[in-house]
Amino acid sequence: MFVLRKIGLFLLTLWAAITLNFLLPRLMPGSPTDAAIAKLAQNGPVTDATRAAIEAQLGVPNGNILEQYFSYLHQVLTLNFGVSYTFYPQSVSEMIGQAFPYTVILVGLVTVIAFVVGTLIGVLTAWKRNTWLDALPTLTGSFASTFPYFWTALLLLFFMGYVLHLFPTSGAFGPTASPALTWDFFTNVLYHAALPSLTILITSLGGWIIGMRNAMINTLGDDYVTFAEANGLRGRTVAIRYAARNAILPNLTGFGLALGGVVGGSVLVEQVFGYPGIGFLLFNAVIGQDYPLMQALFLLITVSVLIANFLVDIMYGVLDPRTRR
Amino acid sequence: MKNSKMRTRRLSVIAGISAVFMLVCGCSIQIKSEPDPSIPDDTMLLAADKGSPMFEKIFNPYLFNKRVAASYVYEPLTAVNVLDGTQTPWLAEEVTLPDARTIDYSIRQGVTWSDGEAFTPADVVFTLNLIKEYPTLDIKGAWQHIDSVEATEDHVIVHLKEEDAPAADVISQTLIVPEHIWKDVETPDTFRDEDPVGTGPFTLGNFSSQQYTMNKNQDYWQADKVEIQHLVLPAATSELDIVTKGFDWAYAFMSNVDGTWGAANPDNKNWFPPGGVISLVPNLDKAPWNSVDLRQGLALALDKDKIAAAATEEYMTKAGQTGLMLPNQDAELNPDIPDQGVVGQDKNAALAAFAKAGYTLKDGTMVDAKGAPFTFSVTTANGYADWLRAVQEVRKQLSEFGINITVQQPQPAGYQQAIQNGDYEVAMGGMGGGNVFQAYNSLLSSEFYAPNGELAPSNFERYRNPDTDALLAEYKKTVDPARQVEISRMLQKVVYQQLPVIGLYYGGLWGLYNTSKFTGWPTAENPYAPPQTYDSSPLLVFTKLKLADKDGE
Repeated sequence: MFVLRKIGLFLLTLWAAITLNFLLPRLMPGSPTDAAIAKLAQNGPVTDATRAAIEAQLGVPNGNILEQYFSYLHQVLTLNFGVSYTFYPQSVSEMIGQAFPYTVILVGLVTVIAFVVGTLIGVLTAWKRNTWLDALPTLTGSFASTFPYFWTALLLLFFMGYVLHLFPTSGAFGPTASPALTWDFFTNVLYHAALPSLTILITSLGGWIIGMRNAMINTLGDDYVTFAEANGLRGRTVAIRYAARNAILPNLTGFGLALGGVVGGSVLVEQVFGYPGIGFLLFNAVIGQDYPLMQALFLLITVSVLIANFLVDIMYGVLDPRTRR
Repeated sequence: MKNSKMRTRRLSVIAGISAVFMLVCGCSIQIKSEPDPSIPDDTMLLAADKGSPMFEKIFNPYLFNKRVAASYVYEPLTAVNVLDGTQTPWLAEEVTLPDARTIDYSIRQGVTWSDGEAFTPADVVFTLNLIKEYPTLDIKGAWQHIDSVEATEDHVIVHLKEEDAPAADVISQTLIVPEHIWKDVETPDTFRDEDPVGTGPFTLGNFSSQQYTMNKNQDYWQADKVEIQHLVLPAATSELDIVTKGFDWAYAFMSNVDGTWGAANPDNKNWFPPGGVISLVPNLDKAPWNSVDLRQGLALALDKDKIAAAATEEYMTKAGQTGLMLPNQDAELNPDIPDQGVVGQDKNAALAAFAKAGYTLKDGTMVDAKGAPFTFSVTTANGYADWLRAVQEVRKQLSEFGINITVQQPQPAGYQQAIQNGDYEVAMGGMGGGNVFQAYNSLLSSEFYAPNGELAPSNFERYRNPDTDALLAEYKKTVDPARQVEISRMLQKVVYQQLPVIGLYYGGLWGLYNTSKFTGWPTAENPYAPPQTYDSSPLLVFTKLKLADKDGE
C-alpha cells in the first residue's frame, strides 16, 4: 500500500512537471528565430531574407498551443524530441547523448564522493565535538561552501591552470585526443575533470559535514545512545550503528535530491571550464531559445529528481519503519 | 561554546586576510603569451571558431551553424571589403550590368575543385538553382531579386525580377558549391558536408571535437599568393586562451587590450575599424518621437565623445549622423554636410530644439506643454555591455537637461522581438555597415515598414517618406556608379536632417593579430579588408599575408 501510494503520487507529479516543462520556455520573451537573429545581428545587419531562411531551417512550430502540447506529449512518450534549434541540424537526443556521459562522470562521481566523505567527517566531528578534530573540518568546510561555485572555479582555473600549469584549463579531453574506450582517453578525461570536480568538491563538502554533524549531535543526546554507552559498547559501534544510522536520514534526503540534480550538471562550473556536459548544453539552450533542447533537458532533470526522490522515499521506509504508516 | 565562537571569529579574520592577499597577488601577475612550440612558422593559430563547447563537423556553407572555416573552403563570385564596399572579382573574373535588370558574370577559367574536377559556369548555375529549390539555403536572399539564371560558354547571366542594380552585390556573395558532388545530395538543407570539396585556399585536415586543422590547397587558383601552409582552429577561444596561447589571429572584444593582448607579446597588435554606427533608435510611430525637433534636440544634447569613450573603453570614436563608416567610406561622403556629419553637443541649440518640440526646462525638469515631466525608456539587450554603458552615459547627460530615462534590458531574443514589433520607446541599435545601398535601404525603405505591434524585418524605427522611397527606387535603377554616389549623398542628407535614428559612436570590428610569423595584415593605413575571421574577409587576408622570416625579419 505504501509503495502503491508513492507510485501514484510519483505519476501525478510527473504529469505536472511535464506540463510545466512545456509551458515555461514559451513564456520567455522572443522566439528561437529572434535569438538566432540577435546573434547574427552582432556581426552586421540581418536582412528579411535571412530571417525567413532561418525560420525555415529551424521549422519553428506554428499551430495553436494545444496542438503544440499534444505533439509535445507524443514526443515525450516516444522519446523523440526532434531537432535542436541552436545546434541545427543535430537532433536533441544526439546532443544529450554526447553531453550525458561527461556530466555523469564529473558531477555524479563527485557528488557521491562528497556525500560519503562529508557524512563520515560529519560523524567524526560530532563524535569528537569541541576538539580541533571538530573545529577544523567544520570551519574550513563552512568557509569553503560560502564561496559561490564560479568564484572557486575561477580561482582554481587561474592559479592551478594558468599560473602553475598543473591542469588543463578547458574542455573534457585534449585537443588531439578523440573519444574512444581506451585507457589513454579515460585518463585524459580524468585529468581534464580534475579542476571542475575539485571545485564541486570544495563547495559541496561543507554542507554534508555540517548537516551530518548537526543531526548527529541531536541523536547523541538521545537516551538510547546513553543506554548503549552504559552497556559498555565500543565507541565506534555506538557512533556508527546507533547514532549515525538515525542521524543520516536528513542527509539522505539531501543526497537523493543532489543525485537527481546531477543530471542537470553544474551550469556555472561547466561554463567556466568549458566542460561539454549537460549544464553547458542547458545554458546554450536557454540563450538560444532552443525549445526542443530545453524541454528535453528540463524533462530529464525533473524526471531524475522525481525518481531519486521516489527511491529515497522507499529507502526511508526501510531505514525508518515509522514512515511506512 | 563561547570559546568556539571566538575561535570562529579569529579564523574568519585570518581567512579574510588571506583572501585579500590572494586577490592582490592575482592582480600583480602578468599574463604572458606562451605559444605552443610544436606549431611551425608556416602554420597559423586562429581564434575564429567557437565550439559550443565542442565542434560539430558541419561544413555545409549555407547552414548558420556551419564551421567558420567553411568560408575558407567555398568561395563567392566576388569578395567584398565591407569597410568601404569594394568588390574584388573572385570566382567571377568580371561583373558587368548591361542594364539594371541583368547581371553578367564572366566566370574565371582554370579554377579547379579541390578534388581535381574543373570549375565551370555550370557549377554557378547549379548553385543558384539549388538555393532556389531549397529556400532555407538562400541565407542572403538572392532569389528575392533573381528571376532566372542562364549559362553561355564562360558567362553566367542573371535576369532580375525588376530594375535592381544593387542586387548584384547580394547575389555575388553566394558561395559556390560543386555540382558533381551536390547533385547527389538528397537533403541539402540538412546535409552536413563532412568532407567539403571547394575552390578555396584551404582544405580540411584533421578534425576532432576540440580542434581542427586546414591545409593549403596546393592547386588553388591563387596558390602563389597563399604562403600559409596550415591553419589550426581550436575550440577553446576564451579571452584568457587568446591572450596566453600565442594566437596569430583572433577576432574578439578584449577589455584593456594594451594591458592584456598587447602586453602578452611585443608582436601582438590590434586594429579596430568601424563596422557600424551604434545609435539611439526612436520609435517614430510613438508620440512624441514623430517630432523631428525633439530628435534634433536629443542629438544636440548628447556629448558623443564621452559616450564613445564610456561605451568602448575609448577604442572607438563618435560617429557622424550620416551612417557612413569613416574614414573608410570618405569617398562616399557628401561634402555639403558640415563636420563630416557629426552633430556636436550644443546645449543652447538643444534647449531651443526641445522648446520647438514643446518641451521646456522648468525648475530643473524638462516638461511638456501641460507641465508633465518628460521621461522615456531606452531598450537595450541584456549582456551587450558596451550598449549598456552607452545608455548609462546618455542617462547621465540627459539628467542635466532634466530628462529622466529608464533602461529596459530584455535578453537578446526579447530585445529582438521588442524592436521588430515596435514594442519600445527608444532602443539601442545599429545603422550602416556593409554595402551603402543595403544599409540605407534597410534603414529607410517603407517596404519594411510595419505598424507597431506587427513584425518589421528592418526599418525598426518605422520611418516612412515618399521622397526617400523615390531616391531608393532610383538608386535601384541606376547602373552608373557616379550617379549612385550622387543619390547616396542625397540619402546621407535625409538621414542627417531628419534623424530617423540618432548616431552615437562606431561599433568596432575587433581584430587582434600577431606579426611575428605573418606580415601584411590589414591596418588603418592599408584597409584592404576588415580584420574579421568570418565571411569573405579571410579570403582577402589569406591571399595577402606573407611569411615573416622570408623577408629576413
